[in-house]
Amino acid sequence: MSRMTLALFTVCVIGAIILALVDRATRAPIAEQQRQEVLRALDSVLPPHTNSADQDSRTVVVGDGSQVVLYLARRGDNVVGTALAVTAPDGYSGDIDIMVGIDRGGRISGVAILSHAETPGLGDKMTTDRDWLPWFRGRSLTDTQWGVKKDGGDVDQFTGATITPRAVVGAIHRALELCASHCRY
Amino acid sequence: MSSAPSTALPAGEGLVAPAPSFSLAELGDDFRRGIWQENGVFKQMLGLCPALAVTTTAVNGLAMGLATLAVMIASSSSVSLFRNLIPANVRIPAFIVMIATFVTVVDLSMNAFAHELHKTLGLFIPLIVVNCIVLGRADAFASKRPLARAIADSVGVGVGFTLALVALGGVRELLGFGSLFGLSIFGASYPPFLIFVLPPGAFIALGLMLAAANHYGATAAKKVGN
Amino acid sequence: MAGELALIAVSAIFVNNFVLARFLGICPFLGVSRKIESAIGMTMAVLFVMTVASVVTWLLERLILVPFDLQYLRTITYILVIASLVQLVEMVVQKTSPVLYQALGIFLPLITTNCAILGVAILVRQKSYGFLETLTFSLAAGVGFGLALVLLAGLRESLALARIPRAFQGNAIVLVSAGILSLAFMGFSGLVRG
Repeated sequence: MSRMTLALFTVCVIGAIILALVDRATRAPIAEQQRQEVLRALDSVLPPHTNSADQDSRTVVVGDGSQVVLYLARRGDNVVGTALAVTAPDGYSGDIDIMVGIDRGGRISGVAILSHAETPGLGDKMTTDRDWLPWFRGRSLTDTQWGVKKDGGDVDQFTGATITPRAVVGAIHRALELCASHCRY
Repeated sequence: MSSAPSTALPAGEGLVAPAPSFSLAELGDDFRRGIWQENGVFKQMLGLCPALAVTTTAVNGLAMGLATLAVMIASSSSVSLFRNLIPANVRIPAFIVMIATFVTVVDLSMNAFAHELHKTLGLFIPLIVVNCIVLGRADAFASKRPLARAIADSVGVGVGFTLALVALGGVRELLGFGSLFGLSIFGASYPPFLIFVLPPGAFIALGLMLAAANHYGATAAKKVGN
Repeated sequence: MAGELALIAVSAIFVNNFVLARFLGICPFLGVSRKIESAIGMTMAVLFVMTVASVVTWLLERLILVPFDLQYLRTITYILVIASLVQLVEMVVQKTSPVLYQALGIFLPLITTNCAILGVAILVRQKSYGFLETLTFSLAAGVGFGLALVLLAGLRESLALARIPRAFQGNAIVLVSAGILSLAFMGFSGLVRG
């Protein structure tokens, strides 16, 4: 018994020590990678700015009690825009996480898809079609019918997929509404 | 417990044995066997979960294969090194702990230094722990052989696994996206055969590849027979 | 809450079926699907170990790994829990019910390396499920695994009587059948979210 236990115990201890060391070595790079990911998304959706938007944020509590982080873009001392992440819970296969950038005038400065599991070749045209996401740039709550054409809105759905664009449009619309009531300049 | 093969480790066995108990030819055989003859995916139908799940492109297949190869070399070597110290009746849990350790090392390192790939392969990196090929080679081969042979075998089987994943990923990417390693092969006018990058296509593509291998294997065998 | 749990269950059984859409548990799916009878036996064993394992790992995650900042030991911990559970089940079943042991015994050792079990435990953490959600998700995952297994076993029992081209005999035809089954299950996607 003792030899068995000792052998197994030793293997576990050695494994734990190795992992503790590797964890120590990789923790900072992993955190940095995750930060860069957020930063890349923020830089791509916000209007030109001079600050590190990921470290310039405030958290607000919205209507349904959930918390939303607002990332601020500054040029010098002026706030030039706000970005926020929204989730479309009604994608074809699961959640679609979206980062939406909005400028001072309430117009969209950029949209980026953070993560999704939509069908390759159908739903994922939202990221592979070069014209679809940029189309939203410059649009605001008032000058656009926020819905896909099938539902009487202004937004093109794409061939073979209506559910995905409908979900994304809904989420972007919600981001604009959230910003209208929470973004302060 | 007296079931352990021996209580004292024979001095340097398998490490710096003065007259090696194996020849270079043997090492070559150990390596070659895993590539096709004992290929995990095509011949033994093992390790199919990652093989089917992540092979939507050739690059993903390659990354998954290399991650598995790294785990295999590390775990087979350590199993072989400590083979005389671990009592037979706890060897499976001990091997699993060793494998889990190396898998976590690969998992953390990929997360830190190959973040995008880590995101794509996702769940299937930690699941290398339960890849039957890894545990299978550790227990059936490495636990009874000296270090050099264990390494040769694990490299062979790991490379065989990688090749299988690249082949499957390549076929699926070519048919499903019209490209290979991200480079367009059939041009923009190719209507992609989407089904092959969706889940059903994984099963069907592997099934067709097995049938092709059977067909050519049978033809080759017939020629040899004549 | 009940509605959410129902959604989780339907999603895990049909929409994102563990075997046919997520590719978890393929080895037993192909290995133990020759006869409906053994498919059911395997399902029972998996269902039990899967549910208990995900509840135990859920507890360990909350009580030990996170509070003590030991997330890097997660994979080791999870796989040890699963391996010990399988041993425990084997011993208990052997002592208490020889009949059940005869039915399940051969499947039990295979379960440790069934990636569906470890997969459920990891997915539960990634989705940060609560207790009831964890319980529902793991039960449904087991049912989904069983459904796929029994359906394939049914197909294979019929295939055994069919004439099959030589190149497709053996695993090739089984994989293609599994592909068609997976295709049928794709009809469920878009049914519920998540």
